[in-house]
Amino acid sequence: MQSPNVDQAQMALPIMRITLGWLYFSAMLRRVWNVPAKMNPSSSLYVGGKLITFIPHSLFIGGILQYTLLHPTLLFDFLVIWTILEGVFGLFMMLGFMSRLSGLVIALLAWGIGLGAGWIGTTCLDEWQIAAVEGAAALVFAFAGSRWLSIDQLLIKKYPNGLRIGRWDIPLW
Amino acid sequence: MQKFVALLIIGLIIATGYTFVTYQYFFGGFTNLHNYSKTPAYVLNGSKVFTNGTVVLQIARVDGPDTYGGFIVLVQLISQNGSVVYQWNAEQLGSIPQSHIHNEYPLHPVKSDKFALIVPLGQNASVILQVPFKLQSGTYTLRAYDVNGQDSAYGISFSVTVQTQQ
Repeated sequence: MQSPNVDQAQMALPIMRITLGWLYFSAMLRRVWNVPAKMNPSSSLYVGGKLITFIPHSLFIGGILQYTLLHPTLLFDFLVIWTILEGVFGLFMMLGFMSRLSGLVIALLAWGIGLGAGWIGTTCLDEWQIAAVEGAAALVFAFAGSRWLSIDQLLIKKYPNGLRIGRWDIPLW
Repeated sequence: MQKFVALLIIGLIIATGYTFVTYQYFFGGFTNLHNYSKTPAYVLNGSKVFTNGTVVLQIARVDGPDTYGGFIVLVQLISQNGSVVYQWNAEQLGSIPQSHIHNEYPLHPVKSDKFALIVPLGQNASVILQVPFKLQSGTYTLRAYDVNGQDSAYGISFSVTVQTQQ
């Protein structure tokens, strides 16, 4: 009987990777494909208004939220960039492409939104639970990568030290 | 390898720290558990009362559900001896022209909806109301009631005491 080793632990990771990636990729889909009005500043469905609801009990980022809400162009640009990040790195996470970088980006997205929305949740501690667990889960990938059922497993065979830029090895996978 | 372990431990501290610190900050989970999303609360600080009868209701919605309400259905102007000098009922509050409402943020504005004055979460607005007679100068209390019948929540009273201005 072999004791569990790193490879077996790696084989479990896609279970989390695909769901975690989908949570972000689908956030982009809902705004771009299901209900495009969510990204239309003149629609009542515009998601920019969500930022107002974060203000009363946000942590650290209250000033940034207020400034952004008072500058609608900035707010729209912010939403576009945020949505692209969610879509791109959510997809990368599902595919297991640059899992370590994707994990880091998703952890920052999760924890960032949690500083604003974390206090909201009428039934449970909804938003806090989402931010805390997604952030921690994503950070696991920043350290572990994902070397099974992933694009990274092909990359790591060819480039075991990550992306080489000059004399630096950047561990993107 | 040692560098990896060192970074891993920093990551562990950050993730755990985030979870515990935000749990305490947002919900007081280690001391007095609370959830500010449950029921609406309003702050009226900054409201003004003028002797000509004009009242500027400065209303900020600071607690409650993010997707619905809150609905103000009664605003009272109360004199120092506790008697109601004038009050605006749901019908009046539900028909305030938008030109008399100045919202701090352009999205999710405070507005009348025929049945109440709607104050979305996070918004902060000045609402101009008019008492149809002149007011004696002095100290007044302005008090607002949510449609749930409450005039306070989470220890916040939906009222403010103000001195009249000329």
